[in-house]
Amino acid sequence: MDINNTRLIEEILGIATSTGADFAEIYWELTRNGTITLLSGRIDAIADNTVSGVGIRAFLGTKTVYGSTSDISREGLIKCAKSVAEAMGEGRAEMNIVLKPTAVKDIHPVKINPAEAENKVKCDLLRLATDSARAYDKRIVQSVGNLITVDHTILVANTEGLLKTDRHIRTRMAVSAVASSGGENQNGSCSPGRGMGLEVFEMFGPEKIGRTAAAQAITNLEADYCPAGQMPVAIESGFGGVIFHEACGHSLEATSVGTGRSQMCGKLGQKIANEKVTAIDDGTIPNAWGSVNIDDEGNPTQRNVLIENGVLKSYMVDRLGSRRMGMPMTGNSRRQSYTYEPTSRMTNTFIDNGPDKNEDIIASIEYGLYAKSMGGGSVNPLTGAFNFAVNEGYIVRNGKICEAVRGASLIGTGSDILQDIDMVGQNLATGQGMCGSSSGSVPTDVGQPLIRVSKITVGGR
Amino acid sequence: MNYELLKSAIENEARAQGLAEYEIYYMSSEELSVDTLNREPNSFSSVGSGGICLRVLYDGRIGYAATELMDEEEMKSLVTRAKSNASATEKPDTVGIFKGSESYAELKNSGFTARGAGELKKLCASLADEIYNTSDKVTRGTATYGITAGFVVRLSNSHGLNLETKCGINALQAAAVVCNDGKFESAYDMTELHGEVDLKALAEGVVSNALDKIDAGSVESGKYSVVLSAKQMRTILSAFVSAFSARSAQMGMSLLADKEGEKIASDIVNITDDPMREGVSIQTNFDAEGVAAYRKSVVEGGVLKTLLHNRETAKVAGVESTGNASKGGYASPVGVSPYAFCLEAGDKTEDELFALAGNGIYITELKGLHAGANAVTGDFSIESAGFRIVDGKKGEAVRSFTIAGNFFELIKSIAALSDTVEVAITGGFTTFGAPAVLVHNVSVAGK
Repeated sequence: MDINNTRLIEEILGIATSTGADFAEIYWELTRNGTITLLSGRIDAIADNTVSGVGIRAFLGTKTVYGSTSDISREGLIKCAKSVAEAMGEGRAEMNIVLKPTAVKDIHPVKINPAEAENKVKCDLLRLATDSARAYDKRIVQSVGNLITVDHTILVANTEGLLKTDRHIRTRMAVSAVASSGGENQNGSCSPGRGMGLEVFEMFGPEKIGRTAAAQAITNLEADYCPAGQMPVAIESGFGGVIFHEACGHSLEATSVGTGRSQMCGKLGQKIANEKVTAIDDGTIPNAWGSVNIDDEGNPTQRNVLIENGVLKSYMVDRLGSRRMGMPMTGNSRRQSYTYEPTSRMTNTFIDNGPDKNEDIIASIEYGLYAKSMGGGSVNPLTGAFNFAVNEGYIVRNGKICEAVRGASLIGTGSDILQDIDMVGQNLATGQGMCGSSSGSVPTDVGQPLIRVSKITVGGR
Repeated sequence: MNYELLKSAIENEARAQGLAEYEIYYMSSEELSVDTLNREPNSFSSVGSGGICLRVLYDGRIGYAATELMDEEEMKSLVTRAKSNASATEKPDTVGIFKGSESYAELKNSGFTARGAGELKKLCASLADEIYNTSDKVTRGTATYGITAGFVVRLSNSHGLNLETKCGINALQAAAVVCNDGKFESAYDMTELHGEVDLKALAEGVVSNALDKIDAGSVESGKYSVVLSAKQMRTILSAFVSAFSARSAQMGMSLLADKEGEKIASDIVNITDDPMREGVSIQTNFDAEGVAAYRKSVVEGGVLKTLLHNRETAKVAGVESTGNASKGGYASPVGVSPYAFCLEAGDKTEDELFALAGNGIYITELKGLHAGANAVTGDFSIESAGFRIVDGKKGEAVRSFTIAGNFFELIKSIAALSDTVEVAITGGFTTFGAPAVLVHNVSVAGK
């Protein structure tokens, strides 16, 4: 597909709306993915993959039809657009479509494009990380490193005249270490990333990435199982923000709210959280993992204050959600690739700094859990029932962090936990994840300072 | 360009670049889905995609490159990139590109037929009607989905091996939302479309599941006898399946390493992997290296008979490949995974399992296994819902608790198995199956 052929794009949009759709959109992508894997001290595999295709979507009110194809020849595009039109209806219509190309300002500059760097440079970075993991302790029996690079170019055009292109580069290193002793294995991981090139490793030294993964594995190897029951929990900054992502974030996406499948339906302006909680989704943070210049419907990303001092202020709304909810779009439409219909998703979502000193938070807990590192989780947005794993945890006794414990998970409901976050610290940091939902897997940042949840069910033994 | 032209372009370029051994792996999919929301037609989606992966042996090492751009220039680039990637790889190849198995079994279900959009729309509408007719508590947000997805996989290599398989899946999904006294709950279920589908039973199942949860009570923390439903045992099996991969074992990431021939589970545990299991939609007769796929016993009478191997792991272990080379997608490097991985049935009915449990918990829902289950350590701690078992019978619904333990301990502790295996595809191309199981002394965290 020639992305400079505006006439062709207008023709395709015209075909897609030819049976009565009131709106159509075309999304083209060319993505070059690279992965280098280092295993057992040597480069195990190097692979690259070019993803290329087009998605065409049409609306009639809130009825949607989506088609996608990897055949990006003119014939392939027309065939796809016709299939969309046929599925939409049997009417006949003609829409006057005039595309107006608009430049997109790039606020995520890249210094060292990974695609242009030699494999040896990337392999050496990875080796620094895995070598430092193995050197950390003789009980580290394996370290696996992956260097993942993505160079993603998109075009979005629609029947309202929007025509934009954008390019986004991101880089991530994921290191996993396995510690073994007495027939028992434990593992640890560290996976920082940014919307940057290889200069990201000036921020995150590969040696530190490897040591962090190894330290977590050793800590867990020496830990006993976490006790079970309800208790206060202090959740550390950074990836600890997954608690907000799961407990509340998904319930604020128009995908859930607009279809009535959210605990947060109809609660705008209501106090839904402790007054110490202010939560934000911000896709504009330069070079952050979840940032993009424009979303996958061509709208600029923005900073959305979701909860301010405990009061629900806004949802995250895509175009279809906007139609369903009668609310403006918020630049949150995202998708994994052209094979997915876009929908409302989080970008960089975090609880903002609060009024409490971190040392006071730990000191306030007589007996509870300090969750230093969190794993992933999941939620039912309708009920807010969530779960997530604790990758590294410690018992807190008499206001002091004591012995490490392993194998814990936290469960609860969003509405309860938002009220039970009763202390919010001041060391806001973010962690990187891949969030899975109906439009596929997309990079998202989660974040928070150290917080205290007054009571939560800890799954343990 | 069609596949033969693409293949020819690669062959010509490979020859020009002096490559003697290479493999072309092609996968395409056509997926059609329709859905209803609040009993109304909502959306329609038709997704087509296809990609090609070139795996080359160059200077004694393997390199990969993949693409969805199907033109001659890209095929030339593919060869150059795969060769360059091989050059930077440090692991020497030990097995080369496969010349082919002596024979390949005949597929039992080679006649996959994609369902049409019209039929799926009707089924979705009828299912939505059944859901709404089941209870007046069914409310906004209730949805049904119909999906048909067909796949074509082709493998060709420099030794003249040319293999192809076509398969697919037709499925119907129900997501019911119910409201009672201002409280909301939801439940989800799916069924594959094999012949006639009992829409009423599917609808009643999801609605009663949602209604049960809405009024569910809580449980006290402690140790309980637990009956895991067939679906949930299947889910647990899928979360820990990588422990049975020889690749994981050789990477030091499975506690089953070097355990072949040892007792790893209770006497009644038998696990098989069968690429052509009866009733399974996704079937194949060759793996991702072209090795003939076949049925194998993985655990027999509690003894680990074999780990799952591709050619490389088999060479390291000094055994033959079990035909389990896999690719997560067309672009993935060759890994290891099963086809239809099933814990085989026992001889008890589910009611007999409840009777054997006496007092305990029947688990019918587990959530968040992607985060709460660790295949490297075997540990799990998972959000759960289900029913009390009181005096040997299914009692009131309970939720908002976790079960925690270790998979390797759990399979040693299985006390009884139900007599029916339920199979389902759980993402990717692997099908999992299990009966309901009884396990004593499981840690539960609740109130």
